[in-house]
Amino acid sequence: MEPNTPRRAGLMLVSPLMLVLLLVFIAPVLMMLPLSLREYVAGTGISDRWTLVNYTQILTDDYYREVVVRTLQLGFGVTLICLLLGYPLAYYMARTTPRIRFALTMLVIFPMLLNLVVRSFGWIALLANRGLVNNLLIDLGLLERPIKLMFNLTGLLLGMSHIFLPFMVLMLVPTIQAIPRDVQAAAYTLSASRPRVFWSVTLPLSAPGILAGSILVFVLTISALVTPRMLGGPTYKVMATLIYDDFLQTLDWPSGAALSFTLTAMTLVIIGLSSRLAKRWGGQS
Amino acid sequence: MKLDDKPGWGLATVSVAIIAFLQVPVLVVVLAAFSKTAYLTIPPKGLTLHWFEVVLTDSDYLGAAWTSLWLAVSATAGSTVLGLAAAYALHRRMVRGAEFLTSVVMAPLVLPSVVLGVALLQYYTLTGLRGFTVGLWLAHVVITVPYVVRACLTALASVDPSLEDAAHVLGADGRTAFRLVTLPLIKPGLVAGGLFGFITSLDNVPVTVFLLSASQNTLPVKIFTSVEQGVDPSIAAVSTLLIAVTGVALVLAERWTGFHKYV
Repeated sequence: MEPNTPRRAGLMLVSPLMLVLLLVFIAPVLMMLPLSLREYVAGTGISDRWTLVNYTQILTDDYYREVVVRTLQLGFGVTLICLLLGYPLAYYMARTTPRIRFALTMLVIFPMLLNLVVRSFGWIALLANRGLVNNLLIDLGLLERPIKLMFNLTGLLLGMSHIFLPFMVLMLVPTIQAIPRDVQAAAYTLSASRPRVFWSVTLPLSAPGILAGSILVFVLTISALVTPRMLGGPTYKVMATLIYDDFLQTLDWPSGAALSFTLTAMTLVIIGLSSRLAKRWGGQS
Repeated sequence: MKLDDKPGWGLATVSVAIIAFLQVPVLVVVLAAFSKTAYLTIPPKGLTLHWFEVVLTDSDYLGAAWTSLWLAVSATAGSTVLGLAAAYALHRRMVRGAEFLTSVVMAPLVLPSVVLGVALLQYYTLTGLRGFTVGLWLAHVVITVPYVVRACLTALASVDPSLEDAAHVLGADGRTAFRLVTLPLIKPGLVAGGLFGFITSLDNVPVTVFLLSASQNTLPVKIFTSVEQGVDPSIAAVSTLLIAVTGVALVLAERWTGFHKYV
């Protein structure tokens, strides 16, 4: 190689991918911006007039507000459940023998790699009116008639916590593993009780992992389309499923575009805030 | 007083229960696929292979499976070539602003998939690409390439750059040094990234559902849309086939590459 070529070689290596991303990722997203500012007239479609109403209605319209609030509730609920279920499992995986840890890691990864529609379908089979859970409860005589487990918050919380739990566990295990056992041992030497050691030593030291896992699960939950649609049906809507309907059913593309940018802004703000928080914690230690 | 912090039996039991919770929907799907009744009961009332026969003789399912497969294979091939080339240049800082460019490559992971899906729907409608397979393929390259690049960057970080320098000293040109020294060393990472991209493409609904032409279907999109017309045990059968394929792929990938290190 001649001395001056690395830079040119670098450009030749990078530019094909950058060209694809420019044309099929950046341009499409930017071109949706003017669409989100167009007026939509029911019956006739997208007009030539500019308007901000697609954005303002997300805050002022009761229906849109309900969907946004529901999306956020779902995000917080799923994150909390994943944390409560994920932490004990991750703690066990971090502190057990390497062989058991490997086996458990495989069992955590396996459902994660499985097709998302398949896992959501599994939850339909469990939660439907004539699904496994209702049938079992009726056969045991605990229920007279099926209770509604799908097309509501219960179903979405259950299904989505299951879907995103592996992400939480995989984020937590390395953090807990990194906690030096000496620190815990020292606390025990100072005759701290088990709960005390957990609250004052273990939990604070795993905070970075908790933060990273929670942000990941929250962002994945509020952006998810497949599971909310399959378990929530066409009526119980979150932001992503409303976008889906705007583009494929009602054809109110401007409103769907504005919702898309709102959802994207929400995820970016959350990721931005969390990385600032993580930096501050990193600076302290 | 206990000085070591070995997990106790209580924690082990809780962990086993949570692991079981993770597998439950999978087991339910498999059971439903072999069940004689349209709705699942425990224990299942009679076992049958009928639903598999339905799936394997249904031209809709077979067509969708074929579309899913070649789309995933061709998109992964594309993103592996583009991603490996870019990752190498980014790792070696051969271009200005490598860090910024890396975050551009990773950006499709941050953007909600449904947003990319609808953005591409509008974009392809405006540019006349709507319904063309090349548009679908490009979209799948974009959603799979971050995994390839990330795995390649991880693998490249563990390669000692002086190895390639040594090859240069011994008279190898840039290409030869890469092919004979670096490429074999990063192969596990490359395979793992490609597999993860492949699974991502095979799994994708939120982008694909907006871009399929009227006569096209992929397997997950077919399951996704047919659930709205009601639950049919043949969906459980096709899901079971997908579970089997994923399980085999995971075992093979782990054996070849130590896959879990790259997830």
